[in-house]
Amino acid sequence: MSSKALLEVRDLVMHFPVRGGVLNRVLRRVHAVNGVSFAVQRGEVLGLVGESGCGKSTLGKCLIRLLEPTSGSVLHDGSELVGLKHGGLMKHRRKMQMIFQDPYSSLNPRLSVRETLREVALFHGVAMPHGLDAYIAHLIERVGLRAEAADKFPHEFSGGQRQRIGIARALACEPEFLVADEPVSALDVSIQAQVLNLLMDLKEEFGLTVVFISHDLKVIEHFCDRVLVMYLGSIVEEIDCTQLHAEARHPYTRALLGANPINDPADRRPLTVLQGDVPSPFELPPGCAFAGRCPVVEERCHQERPTLSERSAGHSVACLLD
Amino acid sequence: MWSYTARRLLYNIPVYLGIVLLLMLALRVNDPANAFLGKNANPEDLLLIKERLGLDRPFLVQYFDLLKSVFSLDFGTYSWANEGITVGRMLRESVVPSLSITLPALILTSTVSITIALISAFFRGRRIDRALMVLAVVGMSVSFLVYIVFGQYFGAYLLTRETGYSFFAIGGYESGLANWPYYCLLPVLISSLVAMGYDTRFYRAVMVEESGRDYIVTATAKGASKRKVMFVHMLKNAMIPIITRIMTTLPFLIMGSLLLEVYFNIPGMGRVLYKAIQEQDFPVIQIFVAIFAGLFILSNILTDVLYALVDPRVRLS
Amino acid sequence: MSGRLKQFFSQRGMRKLRQDKMAMGALFVIGCYLILALFVVAHLPSPEAVVMRVGPDNIPGVFGTQTAEKRLSDAEFRLEALQRAVRTNDPETSLAEFRMGDLRILAGTPKAVESRIEGGWKAFEAVAVYDDIEAEAVALELLENLESEVAALFSPPTGFTALASFLRLSLGTDRQGRSIALRAIYSTKVAVQIGMVAALISVLIGTLLGAAAGYFGGWVDHLVVWLYSIFSSIPWIVMLMVLASMFRGSRFDGGLIPVYAAFCMSFWISPCRVIRGEVMKLKELEYVQAASAIGFGHLRILLRHVIPNTAHLMFINFSLLFIGAIKAEVILSFLGLGVKDEPSWGVMINHAKAEVLNGFFWQIGAATAFMLVLVLAFNILSDALQDAFDPKHV
Repeated sequence: MSSKALLEVRDLVMHFPVRGGVLNRVLRRVHAVNGVSFAVQRGEVLGLVGESGCGKSTLGKCLIRLLEPTSGSVLHDGSELVGLKHGGLMKHRRKMQMIFQDPYSSLNPRLSVRETLREVALFHGVAMPHGLDAYIAHLIERVGLRAEAADKFPHEFSGGQRQRIGIARALACEPEFLVADEPVSALDVSIQAQVLNLLMDLKEEFGLTVVFISHDLKVIEHFCDRVLVMYLGSIVEEIDCTQLHAEARHPYTRALLGANPINDPADRRPLTVLQGDVPSPFELPPGCAFAGRCPVVEERCHQERPTLSERSAGHSVACLLD
Repeated sequence: MWSYTARRLLYNIPVYLGIVLLLMLALRVNDPANAFLGKNANPEDLLLIKERLGLDRPFLVQYFDLLKSVFSLDFGTYSWANEGITVGRMLRESVVPSLSITLPALILTSTVSITIALISAFFRGRRIDRALMVLAVVGMSVSFLVYIVFGQYFGAYLLTRETGYSFFAIGGYESGLANWPYYCLLPVLISSLVAMGYDTRFYRAVMVEESGRDYIVTATAKGASKRKVMFVHMLKNAMIPIITRIMTTLPFLIMGSLLLEVYFNIPGMGRVLYKAIQEQDFPVIQIFVAIFAGLFILSNILTDVLYALVDPRVRLS
Repeated sequence: MSGRLKQFFSQRGMRKLRQDKMAMGALFVIGCYLILALFVVAHLPSPEAVVMRVGPDNIPGVFGTQTAEKRLSDAEFRLEALQRAVRTNDPETSLAEFRMGDLRILAGTPKAVESRIEGGWKAFEAVAVYDDIEAEAVALELLENLESEVAALFSPPTGFTALASFLRLSLGTDRQGRSIALRAIYSTKVAVQIGMVAALISVLIGTLLGAAAGYFGGWVDHLVVWLYSIFSSIPWIVMLMVLASMFRGSRFDGGLIPVYAAFCMSFWISPCRVIRGEVMKLKELEYVQAASAIGFGHLRILLRHVIPNTAHLMFINFSLLFIGAIKAEVILSFLGLGVKDEPSWGVMINHAKAEVLNGFFWQIGAATAFMLVLVLAFNILSDALQDAFDPKHV
């Protein structure tokens, strides 16, 4: 790991305005991401976990500038991405790519695999036209598909195979950084393992840095070095995956861990069931966002908003009760 | 609800302004006075006529003038082609003849089409359904004009010749309820026949789609008879898109069926406009089209509002 | 390239379409019409052939019969035509050059021809005395006698000319003795031409504007919606008439340009709406986002990823607009605003109005039949297209 982070995020905020009313005024905002800060080290796999609607996908898209953040900064190798126009982004785009969640809508149905990969490779000048077919064949085989797949169309493949093609597409421009947005969530469990293993192999082989987004903690544990736990647009805990079970402090993290059944029939630990509902992302409550459902909530949690503070090396928690 | 209505109104104002702008620009491409008086007009006449309508004033002034005239419903300008008659009067006199064709036609077409569509949907897939739909498609593939020609031939000409009694006039119009069947019934029948193909297919499709919904399956599973399911459950919901569609044809009621009016010599709005365009009667053209567009927009707003009343999801958009 | 074509035809929708026999039948019919139109472009029939007199007015062709009175006046017509040919300054040349359709005068000296014509007139007189020819068998016999005498005056066409003559007269003649069959065939080209141009341009404009509106949103969307709200508020007939009056006196007057302009101005709205809705949906799909992530510019994404995935809607709209254009052309002819120099189905139907009152249905029947089959084929095709590609359609 080098000392300089590959990606650094500072106070990232993403709000979506909802318009309406007679004059199309902004009625309210969806507070998707609220002041998030963290760093991604070169070569690591950083997990991003949270429930649906906690803002992790939005954060992922902000990282590679699919979305323009409302405020804050994203530094790629020291250069600021926020505020860059299309031209300035180009050299960054080649180095950062995304793997999408839904295999049935992430590929253009009209293009064959070869055409999809070709487009990317040619656009970024990765391979010269005469070396292109060889490059494409290599890519396809590297993601575990047979070479004949090159001339087939997405509808001829299964979900798992399509995800592999999506991975090939992301790798086609030789990036150094990948955001994987729930890449296995839409797949059958047996296929999940295969695709995950593929990702791990590829990460090793190409020396990639990965931000892995998921709602499934087990998958994250398996795949990631560190994990960020998100709740309602903020990071509530940042911890090494090796320490996850032993050292997790935030009540939400513990609830997530508790919600996963352990593979030991003798372990009769009761499952932690969270009461209550997720608050509305339109109106954030004044205090801790988790206060409404927290099993160890106290009065001050409703008034004061906790900030992410480091408890020990590589472990930060945002909770007032520690 | 009111905010939705207000939004719709506000939204349509620039549309209407745009229409009037386009209209006025289009009509001024060829100098209107020139066009009306022809090539051999002498300059004094040209000036006179321009002054009468204020065509010598700057464009923006004319623009706002027309808007003012429309919104205050003041149509005192005089027609060029018809001495001494105001556009307003032409408007008023032509509304009734137009409506006396289009309104009965709308009622007739709607009732017959909905009935046929119901029959088709009820017996979906069976021979009668297929036969009706084939008839509808073939009916759609014949030109309006052919219906008119044959309609006039059989209804007015042949019938008169064979029976010695003229049921339908070959053309022309006289006001009054007693005169209506003689002058208007034939055009109404023809108009219905033409529209039936399209309407029936559309209504049938709406009904079929509605019949496929889960609540119909539930009703049938519950044990309701097919008849009850169709007429009580399905029809109510199918009526929403059907009525919406009928409403969108409302503005065309006023315009009258231009073709029918010209062919049968019925002095409705359509025919007045047609003649005005042929004669290059500028004030009439301008005002009639502006009125029609305004009515169209109003009816759109009305339809949107009615739809929003029925379907709450629409209000949030 | 062949891979893409293969993909296109093996797609789920295309497969459904290919299995639909009616749709394939319709496509075949449309193909036939297109071939017919190409023949016309190659001057088969030529523009001269369709305005040439080929016989007496309003004869029925193979599908109808005539009253006895009509047959009598037809015979009279032919006799008179022959007579005019004989009584010129140079009878030999005019006899040799005489044509009625494909018929020529039976060879002979002018004097011989004259005496034959005399014989014809005598036969004519014999029939003309009867008031009601059909009532009496004798009169009918005399009529047939007359007709064969008149026929004997012409040299019968042989071989290929016989076939051509048959075709020419197969659907009868109109009020000016022109061949209905040839005019109906010629009108195919006009219809295809108008339909193609109007539908193609409208779909292109509508697609581009609709895609831009759906993809970029914001002010582009507002602008496009504003535009189509305006244009949809004026019925196309009115728009056309205003346009026609705009073009009057300019060099475009009387041509087809105002017609095309009016069609495009009213027809672009429908594809625009549909494509806009579809693009708004497609925009949210992940492969479009992926294209953004890869770094493709908006134009490239629109042209390569978004619009091609709306192709099925473009086709459906194209066929619907084609039908609209053909039917609208008929109405235009009636209003005096349509095609002026060439025959078209609208022109034919318009002319036929007066004929119908006299019981002559051939022209309106032929034009309607030709038009009906083409429009029906397109209706079936667009139904099938919608069933195959756009299951939620109404």
